[in-house]
Amino acid sequence: MNTILEVRDLGISFGSNQVLKSVSFDLYENEILGVIGPNGAGKTVMLNILSGILKPGKGSVSFMGRDILPMSIVERTRLGFGRTFQIPRSFENMTAYENGLIGSVYGTGATERAASLKVPAILEMIGLSDRKGVFAGKLGLIDRKRLEIGVALASNPKLLLLDEVAGGLTESEVSDILGIVRGIKEAGVSVIWIEHVLQTMLEGTDRVMLLAEGRDVVCGPPEAVMSSKEVETAYLGA
Amino acid sequence: MNGIFSKGPAGMAGPAWHARRIAPIAVLAVLVSLAFWGSDYLLSIMILIMCYMAIGQMWNLLGGYAGLVSLGQQSFIGLGGYTLAKITQVYHLPVILAFVLAAVISVLFALLISIPVFKMKGVYFTIGTWIVAECLALFFSTWSFSNYAQGYTITATYAFSTAQIYLVALAVGVGALIVVMAVLRSRLGLALMAMRDNAAASEVRGVEQYRTKLKCFLISAAVTGIAGAALYLNQAFIQPANAFGISWTVSMVFIAIIGGMGTVEGPIIGAVIFVLLRQALYNFPGISMMLLGLIAIAIIMIAPRGIMGIIRRKTQFEIFPVRRHPSA
Repeated sequence: MNTILEVRDLGISFGSNQVLKSVSFDLYENEILGVIGPNGAGKTVMLNILSGILKPGKGSVSFMGRDILPMSIVERTRLGFGRTFQIPRSFENMTAYENGLIGSVYGTGATERAASLKVPAILEMIGLSDRKGVFAGKLGLIDRKRLEIGVALASNPKLLLLDEVAGGLTESEVSDILGIVRGIKEAGVSVIWIEHVLQTMLEGTDRVMLLAEGRDVVCGPPEAVMSSKEVETAYLGA
Repeated sequence: MNGIFSKGPAGMAGPAWHARRIAPIAVLAVLVSLAFWGSDYLLSIMILIMCYMAIGQMWNLLGGYAGLVSLGQQSFIGLGGYTLAKITQVYHLPVILAFVLAAVISVLFALLISIPVFKMKGVYFTIGTWIVAECLALFFSTWSFSNYAQGYTITATYAFSTAQIYLVALAVGVGALIVVMAVLRSRLGLALMAMRDNAAASEVRGVEQYRTKLKCFLISAAVTGIAGAALYLNQAFIQPANAFGISWTVSMVFIAIIGGMGTVEGPIIGAVIFVLLRQALYNFPGISMMLLGLIAIAIIMIAPRGIMGIIRRKTQFEIFPVRRHPSA
């Protein structure tokens, strides 16, 4: 298995608060890595470092053999980083279709004409075909989460960073999201998926990593990690 | 105007579609004909509406879309006005050359000041642009080349009838509208609409913030410079304090906010309200600006997103469509 992303000894502090102490892991090509951990463990901060929103205090990140830490947010997007946010950050006064166009045109450098041929297929894949003309701000939560994934996909990512896309959804909606993420994997994309919803981690991932107190504590097959002592300690205390 | 006004949703046909295509041409025809039957008073009001609409559109492009809240757009008004004065009054060259040069000089100056002011973020950018304009006012009042604080009487104005100046203003207004439509329908426009809705997210999606903002800044400088020349062709007299005064930008902000920021229709509505209101308030000298401010506050409290905001809340109404529609 080829490693697509190599994270070593990643750390960041905000003032005296050391949010990430040391995180290291590998992500393999076409793999879905789930990330779990109690609130405040540093999961979203880690994603923000990977996508370039935050600069780490220490550590290294290489993506397909290239050091990405000096790169800007836009450069990383163009290189193949897709990202969703915990609270969907859609473009509210633009239609679902136009949201997709943004992802495609600016994420890949495609012309608007080329993008207009690609975006409908993506909307189909995420199940928003019948709402493509609706303003993103008028969509319900599940649809905005779908759109968030769609816009990220429109940029043709090699690596997709998902931040709690299943949070706040009903059981059947979670199944929908699971289906979409499986489809993404089949298309050859690697995924890092932060989630609190247990079902998604057990059914939707290849490996799960536990992040606690700013460190990667344990990483392995989903069932093994979920039933490990480390997870119990992290969530319930020693 | 094909391509700018005629693009519509695929499959949309019939009377509504034709109306949409014909309406702008009909309105334009009426506006042009106004030059032949409108009274001088009506035309002088229309001149102001057209010019203020143009500069309101340009401020809206910056403040309403690119997130660049500038209080220094008067720099370009002044540069445009002084270009007109210098070219016609001192060098006795044709007015049209002044309009071309007004755009060129404004763009060059915008490019120059973008180096320092683009390093400033948010409110610092706002203050920075204002300071640049104040510096220009000071500089021009001590510069022999611009005839110090005395400025110029622009006698070229008297060679034109009110109707002719109106036609110039109409060209500037319609031109500004066409520029805005062309920008918003282009690739750049897609980025601008995304930035308007969520700048941080647009960056994550690959929108280069610096480059997009700079393009907007330059386009807006060019058109504001041209509008400045038109405004001073109408005013016939230019002095630094007035030419580089912040009240120009205050009007632009009023127009964009009252009409509705981040919409094409907003500045049109805003400019009509602003010019008519200001005209009405001439009857209250001394307190007219205060009254204008109070009215602005009242409208903002009733309609925080401007008049277009109220309309948009109820419908997806737009006169100048910039929406994209899937072709399939």
